[in-house]
Amino acid sequence: MLVRLFIALAIMSAGAQGQPAKQFRTPWGEPDLQGIWNGETLTPLQRPARFANKPVLTPEEAAKVEAEVAARPGRNARSERGTEKDVAGAYNQIFAQRGTRLSDRRTSLIIDPPDGRIPPLTPEGQKKRDAAREYMQALLQGTSGGKPGPPSPRHNDPPPDYNVDRLNRADGPEDRSLMERCLAGTLPKLDAHYRIVQSPGQVGITVDWGQGSGFVRTIPVDGSKHLPATIRFWKGDARGRWEGDTLVVDIANFSHKAEFQGSRENLHLVERFKRVSENRLEYTVTVEDATTWTRPWTFMVPWEKESDKANQIYESGCHEGNYGIIGMLANTRAAEKLFKQGKGPDPRTMDLATGGDIGGGIERER
Amino acid sequence: MRSLKREAVVALVTAVVISGIWLVATRQVQKRQSSNSSIPRRADGKPDFSGVWEATNSANWDLLTHAPRPMVGQAGVYSDVAVLAAPVVALGAIGWVPPDLGVVEGDEIPYQPWAAKRRQENLANWLDRDPEIGCFKPGIPRAMYMPYKFQIIQGTTKVLMVFEYAGAERTIHLDPVAPYPADAYMGHAVGHWEGDSLVTDVSSFTSETWLDRSGDFHSDALHVVERYTPITRDAFRYEATIEDKNVFTRPWKISMPIYRRLEPNAQLMEFQCREMAEETLLGHLRKNQLVKQWEGKTMRVEVTRKVPPGNAVYERHFTGNPPTRQ
Repeated sequence: MLVRLFIALAIMSAGAQGQPAKQFRTPWGEPDLQGIWNGETLTPLQRPARFANKPVLTPEEAAKVEAEVAARPGRNARSERGTEKDVAGAYNQIFAQRGTRLSDRRTSLIIDPPDGRIPPLTPEGQKKRDAAREYMQALLQGTSGGKPGPPSPRHNDPPPDYNVDRLNRADGPEDRSLMERCLAGTLPKLDAHYRIVQSPGQVGITVDWGQGSGFVRTIPVDGSKHLPATIRFWKGDARGRWEGDTLVVDIANFSHKAEFQGSRENLHLVERFKRVSENRLEYTVTVEDATTWTRPWTFMVPWEKESDKANQIYESGCHEGNYGIIGMLANTRAAEKLFKQGKGPDPRTMDLATGGDIGGGIERER
Repeated sequence: MRSLKREAVVALVTAVVISGIWLVATRQVQKRQSSNSSIPRRADGKPDFSGVWEATNSANWDLLTHAPRPMVGQAGVYSDVAVLAAPVVALGAIGWVPPDLGVVEGDEIPYQPWAAKRRQENLANWLDRDPEIGCFKPGIPRAMYMPYKFQIIQGTTKVLMVFEYAGAERTIHLDPVAPYPADAYMGHAVGHWEGDSLVTDVSSFTSETWLDRSGDFHSDALHVVERYTPITRDAFRYEATIEDKNVFTRPWKISMPIYRRLEPNAQLMEFQCREMAEETLLGHLRKNQLVKQWEGKTMRVEVTRKVPPGNAVYERHFTGNPPTRQ
């Protein structure tokens, strides 16, 4: 009897390891992705040069990298910079909610192309990126964060495209980054916690990201088609379908105001949500924009399940509590007034753009 | 003969099958018509509130019974007949609040004396104070009767509500969950079933949301008990009992039907009002004023932005809390 029980248990556990996904079903028979998922990761989107040809680290190498980042004094230190950049860097590492562990010891989230790097830009994509960078550099000219020289005459020019970055200018809210304006709820969104709730034919995802910059998505999984191309959303228009146990979401109709790695209104995302075990969901995204990149590319982030009882997805209160943007504009108006009175420096010679530490990770981006 | 018999049998069987189908079909029609049995239900027998919904009353303008009145008014020729004031004068008939019956039981909100005064001030300073103007999260119960669609995704253990206005959202926990460790504009909601009614207990509120565009408000002691009861397949009754010991003298209740959007492709659109509200919220802090004047056929409207002095620059919210705890 006891032997039989052991055999039964052994078969059950073997089954659980072999074909686990089948057991996650909603009462109405769809794959069940519901719950809180942690998608924070230390693995960067692109593979840093020092890990070229090394897509996966050994456990020892990974532990070393993780310890290195945790010990980096700049991770949450603002005192090393001058006051000017400290003030401008209203949002530092602590707002960026970066993970502390590498995902599966990988050195890039990008799985295709195999080199783990975003594919080359098209000539058109390169032109746009250059124009944006030149403009940003021009506004920084003559500050501690830019090239030497007098303030550029381009200070009076509008940005080449709807601005998404932190410019060295604060004439109005449009000069500040989408993050500072609480408009950064764009897709795809990495380094977040996600709560998935499903009803038949609908999937809702609450994205808790950036310490209060979160947002919610609703995805019809009902065979409906994309909205007319004239309708553009910051988060695009998402339509889902089930392919086996995988939720596949096609997102188009992005607004030109939203930006992902240089791509805007022509961005096309195909997300794949696949729950591979009780506690692991693989979130794979194929990114496509023929006007920006020479080929589509794909990244994968493993999400880890968290306790639904102990944890919460926190409400985003970024906009409601956004005193930072008021301070940035009011402060710059005051600096202009003092300059006019001969009591302070030309605000154009002060760096309002390069402070903060939001890019911190295993490789400092930008 | 044999084949005739066979034909008769075939005919009889066909008749039985057809009448059977007809019977079933009739029953289904009857079923659909009888409201109680037509309520969409989950596998566990509980009502399914999933779908796109919208209240179609004027409660977001004023919870109480109200006649038309200017959105922003001033004294007219007659002391009892207001006219539209400058911010909305170009709007004509559109600048008037649509009239409606109230949604408050007894048509009275039991304010404490100081709070009744504050509510009048709020109404008089509506354009400076209503959080909806700033695209701030609407709070509960206000989110439920704003003039925008909202979607319910009723999951296995959580009910997600997504509101078109401001992309606001809330989750109702049907399973055990740790208390919310902070304040939330949309509150923290736990729910349970009482027969066919979904009953929620909502707390952990901030003091910074309002109840309508008429200055009705609450403090952070707000406690709301909601009850969602199906009426038909396409409507449910929404009731909310509102309690706040800092502001009201007793709990009071609102009640209204909320209707399903019946378009076959009904869906939420994106209303990213944070960007839309920037000019109103931050325009006075621009280096160069952007909105200066507007001119139509019969009027010219001049706009002069003011920067409030000192710390008043940062006064983003007008909270409902008593000025000093009473």
